[in-house]
Amino acid sequence: MSRITITAGHALASVTHVPLGHLAEAVQARAARSERITALTLAAAGAALAAAGLVSDPAASPSPRIGVVLGTAFGCFLTNAAYQDRLADGGPPAASPRLFAATVSNAAAGELAIAYRLAGPGVTLTAGAASGLAALGHATDLLRAGQADALVAGGVDALGAPLTRWLAEGGLNCGRPPAEAVALLVLEEPTFARARAAPVLGTALGHASGFEPEAADGSAGDGLARAVSAALEEADVQPGDLALAVSAAPPALAGLESRALAAALGRARPRIVSPKDTYGETFGAAGPLALLTALAEAPGGAPVLVLDVCASGHVGALVAESAST
Amino acid sequence: MPLPHPPRAAIITGLGVVSPLGSGVPGFWDGLVAGRTAVAPITAFPAADLEPRNAAEVRDVPADDPDRAGTFALRAAGEALAHADLDGVGRGRMGVALGTTLGGMRLFERWMAREPMPPPEHVPYYAPAVRLARTLGCRGPVATPQLACASGTHAIALAAGWVRQGRADVVLAGGTDFLCRFVVAGFNCLRATAERARPFDVTRRGLVLGEGAAIVVVEEAGHAARREARLLARLAGVGCSADATHMTAPDREGGGATRALLAALDDAGLTPAAVDFVSAHGTGTPYNDAMEAVALARVFGAGRVPVNSIKGAIGHTLGAAGALEAVLCVETLARGVIPPTAALETVDPVCAVLDLVHGAPRRRTVGAAVSTSSGFAGTNAALVFTHP
Repeated sequence: MSRITITAGHALASVTHVPLGHLAEAVQARAARSERITALTLAAAGAALAAAGLVSDPAASPSPRIGVVLGTAFGCFLTNAAYQDRLADGGPPAASPRLFAATVSNAAAGELAIAYRLAGPGVTLTAGAASGLAALGHATDLLRAGQADALVAGGVDALGAPLTRWLAEGGLNCGRPPAEAVALLVLEEPTFARARAAPVLGTALGHASGFEPEAADGSAGDGLARAVSAALEEADVQPGDLALAVSAAPPALAGLESRALAAALGRARPRIVSPKDTYGETFGAAGPLALLTALAEAPGGAPVLVLDVCASGHVGALVAESAST
Repeated sequence: MPLPHPPRAAIITGLGVVSPLGSGVPGFWDGLVAGRTAVAPITAFPAADLEPRNAAEVRDVPADDPDRAGTFALRAAGEALAHADLDGVGRGRMGVALGTTLGGMRLFERWMAREPMPPPEHVPYYAPAVRLARTLGCRGPVATPQLACASGTHAIALAAGWVRQGRADVVLAGGTDFLCRFVVAGFNCLRATAERARPFDVTRRGLVLGEGAAIVVVEEAGHAARREARLLARLAGVGCSADATHMTAPDREGGGATRALLAALDDAGLTPAAVDFVSAHGTGTPYNDAMEAVALARVFGAGRVPVNSIKGAIGHTLGAAGALEAVLCVETLARGVIPPTAALETVDPVCAVLDLVHGAPRRRTVGAAVSTSSGFAGTNAALVFTHP
């Protein structure tokens, strides 16, 4: 069966100083010398792994069956900007090896793998502001395919001056105030979770990703409708059974989203919530953050539908249910 | 009789290449078999202050193209779609999995220098995948794996997962990257570069950067059978891992690379003894090649399986490397020829545990070919290809 157990989750939104006090000393030190996106990732992952009961002795050998799947819209954008500034100003002699080594978007996932000895599958991917659900979806696929027992999965994006300038100049029109967040879940193959008597936060039932080639001019294709229908079908959930649905579209794409929901849900009218009205546009973190919000709000055992919709055209849908109380 | 495919097997039905040896699969292949190297002084941008300043450039896409990485990918995808005879097939369940490390970087560099704002979709990283999906009208899953120098390999693994899980019928999968000052100065400041790439050679001093793109069409077996597509190879197994040891230096024991290889073989249901050819990551840095020799000898046995690296010919094409090496593997299966490792003359004694193909191409019936990639932040990925 395709269900994947969600054993824990942790999100940080709207933080000025990344909280590190809950981390082991060595992990704190790693976070303190890292780029901001890595510090956010370590802070949330440390809390999620602890809640899931998966933090091992730092001296233990690496866990080849535990890994990381991270979604991020902008990844190493800030690091690239810092490195590029120095190169443009001072030429090649000013190029920083330390910064250049972090000009890869998988730096955060790599640091996380080192910090917690997670030597299994490690993937970082971007699908614009739909990166978070794409990462959760890929993580469930890896677990279903037997390639890992447990994965830290979710999304993160850090903000800073060059990126906020880019966004303000229309780099990606998200229509809401850009905000920084990280939201990570621990996903586990169900028998692995049961065998170690892990806590249960909820269950991932089905997901799908798609693309809207004409999203830029506001006309709707059927990429999102197809994704919602496919996620519900895989979850074996009827639209009428949904306790709530999470809206995610930028205002300019609200019509696209409502047409897609009408096409995929028919007469069903689940309660619609919009965490982006609270948190702002958090890009790669948006979908996982919305999933944690929905799991907390929905009654136990009730299915929820979470969407990701990005002006780039990337869309995603995920169906989950919270743990029965 | 070939065994029947398991449900929703991932089949390769088309290939497309833009490389420093030329655009198109035939030119790429002929250059590799001839042992040619495209490494030469950089011409596409000012490089007088860069040291070293050699690279393997794509010559048939204009240097002033504002989105070279996207153009490479689009051209490779066009060849792959035509090769797969998919031009008239609907795009509703067609996806794009396109790895890159620098795609969109030229526009980014210009914007950083306060030049005019690029079009909104040209953000770094996912710009090439978005350009491909919009141009072709794809409505399936679209994502950009970002795993440094293993991005293209991860992209093909991601495509295999989508096809097997029924998330797409066809995925344009691969990688693209282009050369710019940003990346040449970066590898130079890490002291990881040399004027010539000599993978596994006793005189190797570092890598040489390259650029290009490769797209493989990954298609669900039933979909391919129904439209009577030509089956080129089966993408039989995929695997990935993290070193979990160090951000830039590969695990000296090759532990991460070994885990990715074993995971891919296990996924394919094959033992190492079934493998007839390995396309190594083989960057030409002292460290990588020594690590990889340890890992490959551990998995496949000392000297048992022919190994090559194409980075002596086309340099390290970063996010495109794993995709170009996937094309190499598929062609090797079809042709029964293993191209030589260009610029490898004297095998380093620490790499002598490998049967390195060099000097001349080698005729060999290949039933299973493996490609392996590694990258910054300790990422590893491996692919297993068999006859369809």
